[in-house]
Amino acid sequence: MDTSLFFPALLTGIFCYLGAIETPWLFGMSGGFYIVGRPLVAGLLVGLAFGDIKSGILCGLAVQAVFIANLSTGGATNSEITYAAYGGIGLAMATTKNPAIAVTLAILIGQTFGLIFYNGRMALYSFWNARAEKAADQADTRGITLNHLVYPQITTFILRAVPVFLAIFYGKGLVNWLINSIPEIITHIIQVLGGVLPALGIALLMGIVIKNKTHLIFFMAGFVLLSFAKLSMIAIVFIAALVAYMYYFASSNKGTGNGESETKEATESAVNTDDEYEDDDLF
Amino acid sequence: MSKSDSKSVGQDKLLSKHDLNQIWYRWGFTHLSSMSYEKIQGHSWAYSYIPFANKFYKNDIEKKRRLLQRHSMFYNTEPQTGQLINGIVASLEEQIAMGKDVSEEMPVNIKTTLMGPLAGIGDSIIQGIIVPILLSIGMSLAKGGSPLGPIFYIVAYGIIGPTISYIAFHSGYKLGVNAIDIIVGENSKRITDAFNILGVMVVGALAANTIVLKTIAKIPMGGKTESLENVLNGIFPGLLPLAMVLLGWWLVSSKQMTATKVILIMTVIVTIGCLIGLF
Repeated sequence: MDTSLFFPALLTGIFCYLGAIETPWLFGMSGGFYIVGRPLVAGLLVGLAFGDIKSGILCGLAVQAVFIANLSTGGATNSEITYAAYGGIGLAMATTKNPAIAVTLAILIGQTFGLIFYNGRMALYSFWNARAEKAADQADTRGITLNHLVYPQITTFILRAVPVFLAIFYGKGLVNWLINSIPEIITHIIQVLGGVLPALGIALLMGIVIKNKTHLIFFMAGFVLLSFAKLSMIAIVFIAALVAYMYYFASSNKGTGNGESETKEATESAVNTDDEYEDDDLF
Repeated sequence: MSKSDSKSVGQDKLLSKHDLNQIWYRWGFTHLSSMSYEKIQGHSWAYSYIPFANKFYKNDIEKKRRLLQRHSMFYNTEPQTGQLINGIVASLEEQIAMGKDVSEEMPVNIKTTLMGPLAGIGDSIIQGIIVPILLSIGMSLAKGGSPLGPIFYIVAYGIIGPTISYIAFHSGYKLGVNAIDIIVGENSKRITDAFNILGVMVVGALAANTIVLKTIAKIPMGGKTESLENVLNGIFPGLLPLAMVLLGWWLVSSKQMTATKVILIMTVIVTIGCLIGLF
């Protein structure tokens, strides 16, 4: 056993807890899930823990590409990004420091153990919720604090920091064995899957933003601006903002034909014209 | 502030800047700290009103109990942009505590009415536009292992996220119930639609930028073999990623499939494709 692995593994476990969606300490999701939870940031932090920032960031960069469209809506998630990031990058840093290994491990962990732990915890927390509700019924503010904040956080620390620490501290042999014994076709499948996985996050996002099937044309426009015209994302944001502005402008001036004046009046008259665009059978 | 002050009718403000910020940051820190499928963010409301309850309902245990109860119900929205609702509810709870003519059901109704619309717009702005774009910039800065990339992302989102939360809360508080007309009114529907268009286009670009699927198959062309990938790229660059994301969207929106099922389907497609030498 390699005792020099103790502190890096411990720190990675603690980071995995701090980047979790339910961690409050870094201004909730703002600093936790959306910053420490991102694989790009995880690469820097794990790199610091292992004393090799460059390799850490390269692993983080590779894992981030797979999880860029990670999505969490209404408690449902397409993959457990925090376990994936810290488990995958941490184990890779403890072994080969190879970004491709980090991606493979992150996908394996994120789609299996990560989702099992995540859904298990979501179910388990109903227990604390019931106690917090009982506290509210008795106007017991201390009970609310304990069951909303203190006990759930102890639970989540145990479920995140401990398994990730153990996996990195004891998992070296297992990972080395996996790397040497997994057939090449499986590694190839996982690599291809890594390229395809963002499609799910994007499909979920489309489910949120596309309210009307005719809006698929805007999706296609964004797609071809990148794939055919090879514009950068920032350039496309500005073009999209222009299109959105024109869309807003066009929808608030229906029927007046007078482009620049009386936006307020037009606002009211446009109420009547909206119906024809809400017909689902149009498409 | 003394008890008699809060009872006087002519007064229209009860909460100090400190009281308001307490409600804001208590939610800001703990919105998901007891997250379950049953309640999601529900209990964070009760937690954020603890100082309020102790200060204004110190001698009225029944009212305090009802306040904490009505803020222990299921609640789920995008917690940063959704602070707008927390601001509106703070202005309502302030009026209830002052004994004004606002029913105790009002905050509950506001929460259940607004959490859906704000989650939709908030998720598309935060998860659909801001986070992926900042990450794309951070990733291009991190090429070659430079710490500048992650540091850029930490600083950029570290400023943007809490700022959105702060502005949303205080504008919700200032507007009070008037904010509802603005949020569910016709003009706002058009602004929301326009933001959605922006979101849809950015998501389209994101799809082309992030999904990677290339075929390694070769097809015969005029006597010699040509890589199918080159042929496809000549017709429509990124056709395979596009097909994959449209399939995913169809499964999620039309077939109402869960994310886990879609992952399984995609894994099966990729596995078969790899085994027959397509990918």
